[in-house]
Amino acid sequence: MSEVPFKNPGWAGNTGEFDLDEDQVRGDDFVGTRPREGGHPSGAATYPYMLPEKHPDAPLFEGEHKERFDKILTRYPNKQAALLPTLGLAQEVRGHVSPETMDRVAELLELSPAYVRGVTTFYTMYNKRPVGRYLVQVCTNISCNLCGADDVMEAFLRYTDTEIGETSEDGEFTVVEAECLAACGFPTCVQINSRYYENVTPADVPKIIERLKAEGAGGD
Amino acid sequence: MAYPYVSDREVRVLSKYFGDPAQRRLDTYVERGGYQALKKAFEIGQDAVIDEVKTSGLRGRGGAGFPAGVKWSFMPKQPTKPHYLLCNADESEPGTFKDRELMRWDPHQLIEGILIASYAIRAKHAYIYCRGEFFEATQVLAKAVEDAYAKGYAGADIMGSGNDIDITVHVGAGAYICGEETGLMNSLEGRRGQPRVKPPFPAAVGAFGMPSTVNNVETLSAVPHIITHGGQWYRQWGTEKSPGTKLFCVSGHVNKPGNYELPLGFPLTELIEDVCGGMRDGKALKAVIPGGSSVPLLNAEECGRCNLDYEGVQAVGSMLGCASVIVMDEDTDIVKQVRRMVQFYAHESCGQCTPCREGTAWMTKVLLRIEEGRGTEEDLDTLLEMSRQMTGTTICVLSDSAAAPVVSSIQKFKDEYLALIRRGERVGVA
Ligand SMILES: Cc1cc2nc3c(=O)[nH]c(=O)nc-3n(C[C@H](O)[C@H](O)[C@H](O)COP(=O)(O)O)c2cc1C
Ligand code: SF4
Ligand code: FES
Repeated sequence: MSEVPFKNPGWAGNTGEFDLDEDQVRGDDFVGTRPREGGHPSGAATYPYMLPEKHPDAPLFEGEHKERFDKILTRYPNKQAALLPTLGLAQEVRGHVSPETMDRVAELLELSPAYVRGVTTFYTMYNKRPVGRYLVQVCTNISCNLCGADDVMEAFLRYTDTEIGETSEDGEFTVVEAECLAACGFPTCVQINSRYYENVTPADVPKIIERLKAEGAGGD
Repeated sequence: MAYPYVSDREVRVLSKYFGDPAQRRLDTYVERGGYQALKKAFEIGQDAVIDEVKTSGLRGRGGAGFPAGVKWSFMPKQPTKPHYLLCNADESEPGTFKDRELMRWDPHQLIEGILIASYAIRAKHAYIYCRGEFFEATQVLAKAVEDAYAKGYAGADIMGSGNDIDITVHVGAGAYICGEETGLMNSLEGRRGQPRVKPPFPAAVGAFGMPSTVNNVETLSAVPHIITHGGQWYRQWGTEKSPGTKLFCVSGHVNKPGNYELPLGFPLTELIEDVCGGMRDGKALKAVIPGGSSVPLLNAEECGRCNLDYEGVQAVGSMLGCASVIVMDEDTDIVKQVRRMVQFYAHESCGQCTPCREGTAWMTKVLLRIEEGRGTEEDLDTLLEMSRQMTGTTICVLSDSAAAPVVSSIQKFKDEYLALIRRGERVGVA
């Protein structure tokens, strides 16, 4: 398989080099990171991030998260419409959406717990069970597949020593198969937590994993 | 680093500033003439805006190709209830990767288009429904919307015109079907993103039960240019029925995959040979999917006489869709790729309609069986019969989309299916 001749400019910045951290990739021209309390209400729903640190028992909707939740509510004609962003907010804190979280969200938005469960399970981005510090989503859909996505997938499984959907023993990685991530011209596309890695080849995989492990060890 | 996906055959209208991060800043955008189209729209009035867009012949870039100006004219002229504009930024059709680029490189172009469209359809609130995976693009966009608010280009009394338009960036949570316009409305309302039965159409009963218009990111990004320069100006590119420029997302086995903005009607062969630097490793072309995974495959002969406009692609038996050109070389395992696409549809079926829910799951099984050398020739008849039952029988066209690659691949690449079946029979797996 020949090399893809170009590297995509990458994650919100000027270069897609894998060994740069997010701030470096964003560069000076990045227009800004969203403030934690949500900034202008028009953008308060644009979270959540997928963060390495997860606190499954942390309180929900307090402090800055409460501020964001309140801002979200102002943007819709009813409370139900805030359901998806609210679930996302909860997942940002806890790393997954447990039945208990769903009940709490139901209470907050005055919906029935059964309804919230029905909606939550419809969407793939809500993790119904805990995942590793890094959720690795490898696109294996057609465009990436034509350019060797299966080999990239295999490499991730081998270097993290896991199986699809399982979390590695050290709790670092959960590797799953993703559907098209809308980066088909830059195959293979891999989403790791909130960040896209593009033009990933099997040879890149050990480098990416080492880098993430080092980041984790450094206390983030 | 300069944006690498460029060709001198391109006409860069929407993608002019791709690769230039400064374009994300409001002040740069304004210096370069930004928000003047919005000002002009407020001056000429709603009807003139709709007329201009009608004149341009701009067609929806989300897949169906419905004329944007005509769609806007379906909205009530005398609002009795709130109206909504919904910008479809859920881009998830396999092979498509243009909306994300438009959002992250030129967010204000999109915002200006959204404001003009909202004004034209008398909406006071626009929602941008972004794909949940787009963390980065939505952040860029949210920042741009925030800046627009701060400088009086969004919110109350925009540019002192007396017009109020709010914009909210909303994020989905991972479901392809939320890209379908009525699925999108359900999802926005905090429901499962299952498509609704039409009629009623969105212009009558849309989001939150109110008149709504859904437009794709690329459609809306073209609007400021049309208002600035006029509908006729836009027609200098493209064909009579498919005017203007279009972002072509080229992926697969070409030397330079990427997004290329070209006049509609551009010959497919030239796209592959000139713009994308030819086939990778000098291999021969086997097949192309011209419009994203939902449309029929073309074989090499059909590619040779295919022009990339809505009518041109139809003439060779497929559809332009979102102009997501997936190129496959001679070594491609067609059966495997078709199976992978159908597997996607099985995963994404929302489950409301039996032919779709059962059909996509069953087809995946049969295709897998053939791929593994355990298939029979009758399986091909079964697949065709299932496809027939899945086409035109369901609430939305996801079901038809799943059938399209199956039918076209059996028609055009039957030998590959038969080879797998025969090999299986010979070694006695079957
Ligand atoms: C299954 C399915 C998925 C779709 N996904 C998208 C999508 O991701 N983005 C999009 O803009 N349109 C998508 N569409 C088309 C929309 O229903 C709608 O036609 C479009 O957003 C209208 O905008 P336009 O007229 O500007 O093209 C999809 C349609 C179907 C049936
Ligand atoms: S055709 Fe499929 S995806 Fe569309 S509404 Fe029916 S079951 Fe849902
Ligand atoms: S097919 Fe992999 S990102 Fe689209």
